[in-house]
Amino acid sequence: MAETPFARRQNAFLLSPDPELARLLGGLWPEDQLRFTVFERGRAAIERLFNDPPDLLVVDNRLTDISGAEVAALVKSENVYRQLPVILVLDEGDMGHAWDWDQVEVDDFLVRPLAAAQVRARVDLTMLRAMRALDANPLSKLPGNTSIIQRIQQCIDREEDFALAYCDLDYFKSFNDKYGFSRGDEVLMMTARVIVNTIRAFAGVRSFVGHVGGDDFVFIMPPDLVEEACRRVVQTFDSIVPHFYDADDRARESIVSVDRQGVTRTFPLMAVSIAVVFSTGARRLSHAGEAASIAMGLKKKAKENPKSCYVLDQRER
Amino acid sequence: MDEDLKTSVKGQILSIKDLPTLPKVLDEVSRLVQDPNANTDEIAKIISRDQVLSAKVLKMVNSPVYGFPGRIGTVQHALVLLGFNVVRGIIISTSVFDMMVKAMEGLWEHSLGCALAANVVARAAGLPDPEEYSVAGLLHDLGKVVAAVQMPELHESVSQAVREQDLRWFEAERAVMGFGHDRINAWLARHWNLPGNIREGMSHHHSPETAQLYPDTAAAVHVGDWIVRIYEYGTGGDDQAALLSRKALDMLGLKLADLDRILDEFAGQLAEVSDLDMA
Repeated sequence: MAETPFARRQNAFLLSPDPELARLLGGLWPEDQLRFTVFERGRAAIERLFNDPPDLLVVDNRLTDISGAEVAALVKSENVYRQLPVILVLDEGDMGHAWDWDQVEVDDFLVRPLAAAQVRARVDLTMLRAMRALDANPLSKLPGNTSIIQRIQQCIDREEDFALAYCDLDYFKSFNDKYGFSRGDEVLMMTARVIVNTIRAFAGVRSFVGHVGGDDFVFIMPPDLVEEACRRVVQTFDSIVPHFYDADDRARESIVSVDRQGVTRTFPLMAVSIAVVFSTGARRLSHAGEAASIAMGLKKKAKENPKSCYVLDQRER
Repeated sequence: MDEDLKTSVKGQILSIKDLPTLPKVLDEVSRLVQDPNANTDEIAKIISRDQVLSAKVLKMVNSPVYGFPGRIGTVQHALVLLGFNVVRGIIISTSVFDMMVKAMEGLWEHSLGCALAANVVARAAGLPDPEEYSVAGLLHDLGKVVAAVQMPELHESVSQAVREQDLRWFEAERAVMGFGHDRINAWLARHWNLPGNIREGMSHHHSPETAQLYPDTAAAVHVGDWIVRIYEYGTGGDDQAALLSRKALDMLGLKLADLDRILDEFAGQLAEVSDLDMA
């Protein structure tokens, strides 16, 4: 049987009067991977659902006190619960009419008779899809914070040697203030592309790129390649970024904008700063948070240099 | 010529789905993209010798999908931002001409020559980012290629007018269609979101003084076009004497006397490229 695709135990609610369905679903995953809490009546589950939302909701259309579509609508109409994946279980007879999936905003549906292997695959896929969609950065579509932390923790748990690089842009805010958000977004899209392609150019290497948000990016590389990767990111970024300025600013190599205190100032062109933290046999990180706090310290050092640069964690490696 | 023809030609031009190229560079790049260790600089250098492949990567990287339309004007930057997979995708989906090969070979040489010459001129004039002038030079006759593919009958009429009335290609285009490849270039460059400097180099190389934003680029391409015609490297479709606009030289701050040095420099670079061709 395949390894679990989930990083931690997932909790699911099943709203169904059908004990056979409960038995089927309950038997498909070990308890420490995906655990089902079963509600025979729909209404009773709603409050619990809102107070303590699960990772997955399976709703049986055989519910008598409230329709499956109504439960789905309740969940999907609230922005704070929308990301919860909902699977509707139907009987063959329910397929006699065309469903308006724009109204019934479920993530997937299953039709009886249910085949165990297929149910398992559909549920896994639905949950993964929801996770990716939720976590992807809306601008760059790169994996976001949840995936980043998960990936770091995974590297730590497997006792892999890895280097973790935090990138951000200097003077991005003044660029945004002068040129506006959509020009700023152009720069973020370019930066994402530069990092992704630079990292991917190392063929046959296990690596990861994530977008924390705004002008903050993260990448993970083997320790022996990370310095070369940083060098290439810096070089490529510096050669491309001037083209995102108007011709006159590019010629001056600076812009005039307003600083955080509201004072008009001249700012240099944007630069990329990278702080690299290592986790190797000599010294392993204990958790994802430790990596972030060490990186923040290094970042200050990188920021003292107005030009693009990278700083490697020099503690014993 | 009437507006209706112009509108229908514009529609034809912009609806181009499949722009073929010549086999030589394509074969070379195809081999390189099979090699996962090939580096971007190597691939960029080769793609930069082919106007169609260069146009394709620049069109792709400047498309709204990537989120920064109109910003990228060099093949090197385009390749870094597109990444290996996308570039390989472009290469494997590109076809080659099965007709007009002879005529196209002349046009390819002429375009490559103009790319080199525009670069030499830009350097001589002390302009920043000379690589972008190469790209504008390389693409300055792209409209002729697209017209040949999309409207072979009109293309043939132009070719006939060149032969029978002893016209320059640009004059024949205007006689037959009422507008030239400079106009076609402008449509393409705008439709593909190419950067303004590349666009004006493509669309104003016959009249650099009318370029609104980037007269330097238009002027450098104009002088480049003249230089490559002097050396008769490749052909722009006719064998008429080249015209050099004094205004273009003035705009670049160059004197007639500077041309000697520029022509020498160009001859050296051309020799290198022609050697490559033999290989």
